[in-house]
Amino acid sequence: MILPLIAAFSAGVLVILSRQVNGRMSMSSTPMISSFWNHVVGFVVLTLIGLLVGGLIPANISEMPWWIFTGGAIGVVFVASGSWLITRIGAVNSTLLVIAGQMVFGVIFDLLRGAPVTIWASALGIVLILAGMALTQRRR
Amino acid sequence: MVWLVHLNGTWRSDPTAGMNPNPQTHTLPRTILTRIAPMTPSQTQRPNPLHLLAAFASGGLLTLAIFVNGEAGRLGGALFSSWLAHGVGTVVAVAVLALIWRRERAATKIAEAQHGKAPLWAYLGGIFGAVTVMLTSTAVNSPLALAGTLALGLAGQVVLSLAADYWGLLGLARRRLDLRDAGAVILIAGGSLLIILFGFGSA
Repeated sequence: MILPLIAAFSAGVLVILSRQVNGRMSMSSTPMISSFWNHVVGFVVLTLIGLLVGGLIPANISEMPWWIFTGGAIGVVFVASGSWLITRIGAVNSTLLVIAGQMVFGVIFDLLRGAPVTIWASALGIVLILAGMALTQRRR
Repeated sequence: MVWLVHLNGTWRSDPTAGMNPNPQTHTLPRTILTRIAPMTPSQTQRPNPLHLLAAFASGGLLTLAIFVNGEAGRLGGALFSSWLAHGVGTVVAVAVLALIWRRERAATKIAEAQHGKAPLWAYLGGIFGAVTVMLTSTAVNSPLALAGTLALGLAGQVVLSLAADYWGLLGLARRRLDLRDAGAVILIAGGSLLIILFGFGSA
């Protein structure tokens, strides 16, 4: 049980590590160039892993809905904006505001597509998040 | 090294000005600096509300990307999903860069004059993203499930970003943290945990 705990925690650490490194890249280039390197390097690494493990491209790929191919396009914008943001508002603010947006839009998105949502917990969670956002915004 | 910070309309010297290896960049027109200088958040600067709003909106993009990539993962596996996203992302980034290449090249020249060439390791951010996929897919398929994975991942993100700002890790600016940051962390992380652990699904 300790291994999955470490894996989940490390995944969060690596998300920030990646944003920090991409942010450094964008300081000496641009956020879009930094996003390009992030994707091309990730693609090479995942291709190598895929070749090692095998079965990278599933047989049913032609039957998948077209929109699953749009995730990468959204990712390019997200990574570029992350590099742009971290050099301006810092790591903590980036992390908190991105998580805040992810949660609030996640709840809205779930409501819109009719997924089950526990209203009291989601509403209270959103109130706390908005209060925290107001706090990042207050003059020091 | 950034030697100027834009504070309330006035330019002030950064304490690190003496460390700037490229004094000739001092003569750059202000408009160019304003555009490309990463506004190093000084200890007293309040984050620009528009930047915070942009960060919040990008969280919405992340929700969308995670949903789309999650569907790809459900249909073809986690490795395939991430591989596809990185492949499509590479193609899209190349297309965008081709369209605005002239501007990007000019901006890179200015950025390199100011901060020097990017260190080799700065090209490798993508490795961490690739490894993240493997870690999360391991964790999701353990007793932690999705909620536990998200909650612990959130903790990991908060811990490393606090460390990154406190020590100015990996060449980015150091930021002083205060009680307000602690309060924001507690409120936003607390609210998020509430949504992750109790908000999904019906009680």
